[in-house]
Amino acid sequence: MLRLITFRLAHAVPILLIIAVLAFLLMQLLPGDPAVLMAGEGATPQAIQEIRQRLNLDQPLVRQLGTWLLHLAQGDLGSSLQLNQTVVSAVAERLPVSLSLAAISLLITVPAGIMLGVVAAYARDSWLDAVAMAVALIGVSVPTFWIAILSVILFSVTLGWLPSAGYVPLSEGFVPWLLALIQPAIVLALFQIGFLARMTRSAMLDVLDQDFIRTARAKGVVESVVLWKHAFRNTLIAVLTVVGYIFSLLIGGSVIVEQVFALPGVGRLVVQAVLTRDYPLVQGTLLLFGFIFVLINIATDILYLIVDPRVRYD
Amino acid sequence: MITATASQKSKKSRYLSILMGITALVGVSALAAPAQSQGKNAETIIYGNTAGPGTLDPFVGSSTVDLEVMHHIFEGLVGMDANYAAKPMLASKIDVAPDGKTFTFQLRKGVKFHNGKEMTAADVQASFERYRKLSPNASVLADVTEYSTPDPYTFIIKLSKTNAVFLDVLKSPVYPFVVLPAEQKDKPAREVDIIGTGPYKLAEWRKDSHLTLEKFDDYAVDTTGKPADGLVGKKEALVRNVRYRFMPEANSRIAALQTGEADIIANVPRDLVARIEGRPDLEVRRLLACQQYFIVNTQQPGTDTPEMRQAIRTAIGVDDIMAAISRPTKRSHAMTIPGGEYYNGDLNNQYYDQKNPKLAGELARKAGYKPGQKIQLMTTATYPEFRDAILVLSEQLKEAGIDSEVHVIDWATNAANMQSGGGNWNISSTQFCSNPNLGPQQWKFMVYNFPHVKNDGTLDAAYDKFYTSQDLADRKTAWNQIEKQVLDQAYMIKIADTGLIQALNKKRLPSFDDYYINRFWNVPLK
Repeated sequence: MLRLITFRLAHAVPILLIIAVLAFLLMQLLPGDPAVLMAGEGATPQAIQEIRQRLNLDQPLVRQLGTWLLHLAQGDLGSSLQLNQTVVSAVAERLPVSLSLAAISLLITVPAGIMLGVVAAYARDSWLDAVAMAVALIGVSVPTFWIAILSVILFSVTLGWLPSAGYVPLSEGFVPWLLALIQPAIVLALFQIGFLARMTRSAMLDVLDQDFIRTARAKGVVESVVLWKHAFRNTLIAVLTVVGYIFSLLIGGSVIVEQVFALPGVGRLVVQAVLTRDYPLVQGTLLLFGFIFVLINIATDILYLIVDPRVRYD
Repeated sequence: MITATASQKSKKSRYLSILMGITALVGVSALAAPAQSQGKNAETIIYGNTAGPGTLDPFVGSSTVDLEVMHHIFEGLVGMDANYAAKPMLASKIDVAPDGKTFTFQLRKGVKFHNGKEMTAADVQASFERYRKLSPNASVLADVTEYSTPDPYTFIIKLSKTNAVFLDVLKSPVYPFVVLPAEQKDKPAREVDIIGTGPYKLAEWRKDSHLTLEKFDDYAVDTTGKPADGLVGKKEALVRNVRYRFMPEANSRIAALQTGEADIIANVPRDLVARIEGRPDLEVRRLLACQQYFIVNTQQPGTDTPEMRQAIRTAIGVDDIMAAISRPTKRSHAMTIPGGEYYNGDLNNQYYDQKNPKLAGELARKAGYKPGQKIQLMTTATYPEFRDAILVLSEQLKEAGIDSEVHVIDWATNAANMQSGGGNWNISSTQFCSNPNLGPQQWKFMVYNFPHVKNDGTLDAAYDKFYTSQDLADRKTAWNQIEKQVLDQAYMIKIADTGLIQALNKKRLPSFDDYYINRFWNVPLK
């Protein structure tokens, strides 16, 4: 196990290096000047040039890239141009919000998506299958921002059950924290539930057609055992792969939900950083995202070992 | 073939029922909890704004979002009254020498910083020195030859040449000339400690989430007998806290107001106003404190001659543009606001809303325009009102036989191109909020730099006269000439006075006064 983790982490180093260089170059390709934005609309050209010099933005591109990589090798992701804090602290401040949202969303997504997918596969070609897949299709197709706005109007404005926006840290209490996040988490989960349900259904259909399932039923095995022990367990590799992918998406891809529900998460941080051309922040955050995705992949690989004893990493 | 027996089918359907039940439970269980009460109390005003400040370092702060917070925390020697005129704030008395070169400020005594220290002339001098070192607006202090502090409550500024509007320069709410403790003098830009003398102090600032101001109990209320007036006068914090929530999505802000999670919200889009207007406890307010213009690049081929710029201006009709943009608008040709001391009535009205495509086409041909030559229109989707104005302009130019190409880019690039003149654009659109209110000295940078005006002797002479005339009537004459030149040469083409819609809970904030930025002193909360 330790060998696997070490190998995969070592394997991630060149990938992260490629991400680092690409992130740097992509940001430089964008037009716009962070010094102009920092200086404000009434600033003189001299004032803008002074800011550019202070931030080393007047240096040749290769030197800027070299400096950044050198600092990176020393574990320094740099400092934000706009926020007056280091990239690590800016992300660390917001990561609990994104992780909380992703975790709650995943807790809703996994059982709901699997249940819908299993029901649809089990009742294949029946009205239940049609309803389950229609629900999944709606989840995948309807724009998140629209669902979010409707959800706020219904659950916050009309019914008054949930706060309309904002984040409460876990340190201020579990219930306020959960109440602040449950609505955005459900909205965020809707798309993922649809996605997971469709993948689960597809994997279950493949397994349910296998001879060993027919044999189990012929032997009189209880239906729940057929479904969960014989069929579902054999779909777990596919399901786990999708869940790992969904978790990655939930951490980094919740910008719209963060925007609508005014959550101070990492997604909003990155979008704002792109809009203000905060180069170090975008580069550093992308790199951190890359590292988190690598960790999620490693965790998924380890889970493969647990759910399927046939899997071996030699 | 193996088929399911009746008992297997029955077992299967029973099992399905259980599965469906669990699925439904997972779906609804999370919604069964009641909503929490979000900070609604008599001690905290909650303001749902579009974004949070980028910085609270006053010497580099220029956006309205920054300034709305700063003016509660910091104060300057002078500030603006309700009519945007310069009035003493931390100064109790200001003497201007007859030559307009020496300004003596007597400071109010007993004014304390949020750290408990008393403000003295040494703090004022250190603040001006820091400003000159790092503010993007530092060029306005270029003529300062000397600061002196003969005693702890007297501060003197000497200039190398006459500046009749130096106090107006100091009242600027953009990059405000506020007083910081002298210990902050060497702090780099954006790294200053947030310590001022204002009625509120910074209590908490969580980026991207919220910011809380807390009443400063030792605030030295101005007791010189002047009532609260604009940013000056007798200011008192009547509530314990003001909480700014950063809510970028308009629907969320409206929902927060409707649920009582906010007492006042900024920037309500025109098409969402109906969701608020039906509620008796809520009130919609329209503030026309800004002006929108087309900016014409005088250095870009296609608009580098006055004749061609004037042809373009002749094609423009503002009514269609005003109908298209999503903000409240009002027709006005002037570059100042009615009621302000430099407002000149209909004097330069002839350049506004000409709406004559036929004449525009003729003027363009006389100016050397060749059919097929494309005028480059640059805009951004970040501000829909800028984009919509440009789209209507494109159609109006087409009607005049002038071809154009619209480039929609992000605001960062649009702003940078406008400042630098690069990016191959002929016309862009933007909005000014402080400049129309604050007058000629505040306009100077914009009217030269955005259209990239060069070698205009008439404009240079008018500005010289403006700065050196001690008499207000002479300065007004100079301003009339400046405005005429800008509009006649079509450096900038006025579209309309514009503003924002905001909404508030009038039961909670029964006596909230509108100003061009929101102020929360002297505001009781019910």
